[in-house]
Amino acid sequence: MRNPITSVRLKSVLEQLATPFVSVLLAFAIGSIVIWAVGYDPILAWTSLLKGAFGDARRLGDTMLRATPLIFTGLAVAYGFRAGLFNIGAEGQLFLGGLSAAWLGLLVVDLPRGIGIAIMLVAGALAGAAWAFIPALLKARVGAHEVITTMMFTFIGRYLVSYLVTGPLKAEGQIPQTVKLAPETMIPKFSETFGIDFGRAHWGFVIGIAVCVLMWWILKYTTTGYEARAVGFNQWAAETGGVSVSRTIIKSLCISGALAGLAGVVEVIGVQGRLFDQFSSGFGFTGIAVALLARNNPLGVIAAAILFGALSAGAGTMQLEADVPQKVIFIIQALVIFFVAADQIAKWVLSPFKRKGAENA
Amino acid sequence: MDARMRKFLALFVACALVASFAVGCSSTEDEPADTTTDEPMTEVRAAMVTDTGGLGDKSFNDLAYAGLQMAEQEYGTEIKALASNEIADYEPNIDQLASAGYDVIFTVGFLMTDTSMLKAPEYPDVAFGGIDQFFDAPPENLAGLLFKENEGAYLAGVLAGLATLDETLDDRINADNTIAFIGGMDIPPVEKFEVGFIAGARSVNPDVKVISLYAGSFDDQAKGKELALASIEQGADIVFAAAGQAGIGAVTACLEQGALFIGVDADQYETVDEAKPIILTSAIKRVDQAVFQVVGQVVEGTFTGGITEFGLAQDGVGLAPYHDFEDKISQDIKDAVDKASADVIDGTVTVPATRDAL
Repeated sequence: MRNPITSVRLKSVLEQLATPFVSVLLAFAIGSIVIWAVGYDPILAWTSLLKGAFGDARRLGDTMLRATPLIFTGLAVAYGFRAGLFNIGAEGQLFLGGLSAAWLGLLVVDLPRGIGIAIMLVAGALAGAAWAFIPALLKARVGAHEVITTMMFTFIGRYLVSYLVTGPLKAEGQIPQTVKLAPETMIPKFSETFGIDFGRAHWGFVIGIAVCVLMWWILKYTTTGYEARAVGFNQWAAETGGVSVSRTIIKSLCISGALAGLAGVVEVIGVQGRLFDQFSSGFGFTGIAVALLARNNPLGVIAAAILFGALSAGAGTMQLEADVPQKVIFIIQALVIFFVAADQIAKWVLSPFKRKGAENA
Repeated sequence: MDARMRKFLALFVACALVASFAVGCSSTEDEPADTTTDEPMTEVRAAMVTDTGGLGDKSFNDLAYAGLQMAEQEYGTEIKALASNEIADYEPNIDQLASAGYDVIFTVGFLMTDTSMLKAPEYPDVAFGGIDQFFDAPPENLAGLLFKENEGAYLAGVLAGLATLDETLDDRINADNTIAFIGGMDIPPVEKFEVGFIAGARSVNPDVKVISLYAGSFDDQAKGKELALASIEQGADIVFAAAGQAGIGAVTACLEQGALFIGVDADQYETVDEAKPIILTSAIKRVDQAVFQVVGQVVEGTFTGGITEFGLAQDGVGLAPYHDFEDKISQDIKDAVDKASADVIDGTVTVPATRDAL
């Protein structure tokens, strides 16, 4: 016998998955036309993109490497969105997380590796949360819009780091960057653990997935998560229902900041081993797109981040083998975002199938 | 026609519109296309990895690519340029080119120094050329190609130092005796431009005020413009920008506020059309020559690693022609520039390379 409730639930999950999926397909379809129209071979482009993203262990590693910071920043933005907060300042929080790791990494060198890494992760999360705290307070107390304040704090954070790496924290030598951390303080690489050449991919990827599952659970099953969702859904109703809106705003934005801070930590102690001006290529901003594609679902963030990571990892091979300029990847990313944002288009494409489904039922 | 059919037709039309838009855009873009000659004279394949400025920066990366194209013409070398969208692309781009069998790979830019040192030992059969990269103890297959930017900038400084005093040269010259330098990131090759420029200006005009500002990046045009506006506000009438794309922003500022401009790396009179009415000259850096020469060495089997410096004497740096200002710049100024050049080449003048030496 069919359980009607399960079936309804399954159907809604499928529906939720269908729209992003169709959006991605549409983006690739239009991307193909663009590639074809400027005189390249779209089939060759996509096959070389796939090869570059998943072709062998090393390429797969590159995809995971690039997805790692996006998992954290995507999750940060998604969590904020669930509480009705648009944290576009993830980039700034990421810089602060990176800063704390670059500094602490020099101090924890005598501790056991696992403990040192744990300390740096916690401290980086706190640094990110602290960077989000003032915008959160301003939002909760005087209603200053977080889009403005978190963005402004991104500038402050970026230039603070820029100043520190060219001045007080600069390592010996000509390049503006901090001292390189000892390898034994860094997050282990997959190639160290498994003995297979996964390039530079590291365990931060797994930590990211674990944190996504954790946040999914927090949103679904804890009071904190319930309050965040309630405020995001309707803050007046939440207030009436006994939820402290201002406290929830502060808490949610700080959690979002903490997650973005983690992105900075894993980049510093997973990949670069040090902090420098351009250590993030806009991960905080790409995180917004990841969250959008994931429809703010923490589990969806994993898939969306891997997609964006694969696009960026495969771009080089696509350029090498199909001659398609790497910048085309930006067009694909933009198209994905466009179709997700304008989800009515995807729904409209899906509607004939849906109607058929309804007729069958 | 049924509804679904109509929908797909509408979708098709939408796609076609997007596509035609893309075609329209592509015709204005001048991405260099790979053209392989029919009969290669050599088996050598040469490639480069750009820094995040990418191709189309109208200076540094484009010049390196021009060097590859010269090699293609001369030796029939198969060439390839891989652009880097972000810093994370450097290593995989090198990996991909090396595994695709390229014999010589150029890494373009100071910021790839560490990457070159890391990757060259991994591919001992590939020759690496690191543009603007200095290595203490490079492996045998890695060549650091450095330029004496300070020597070219010194000549630009002599020119600017004299021109800012000569109000008859152009009505955009004011009485403030102030010129400006806009840098991209504060890294050694850019510092050398700055220091050489200041030294040159002071050598002919001891009281000149030189405003030095850094954009903090090579691709932030808005920042470059903002800094140039600020310096013009403070009286600068000639702006020398060594700032990649950010320098293009400085061009806009000079055009708006009526100041003169000195370009960098390439002869920017040729590469930046809008700069034509304001550009006195450019402090050129023959990255193309360096790339071409190294490919030649690989073709002839004479490649050796190590550091090579290209200065005025080696024709690796210098000043571009004055173009539209040829008739406006007085013979006295031109003579002073030529004399400065001769002095640097014969060693009478040693141009400082760091702020500490200034």
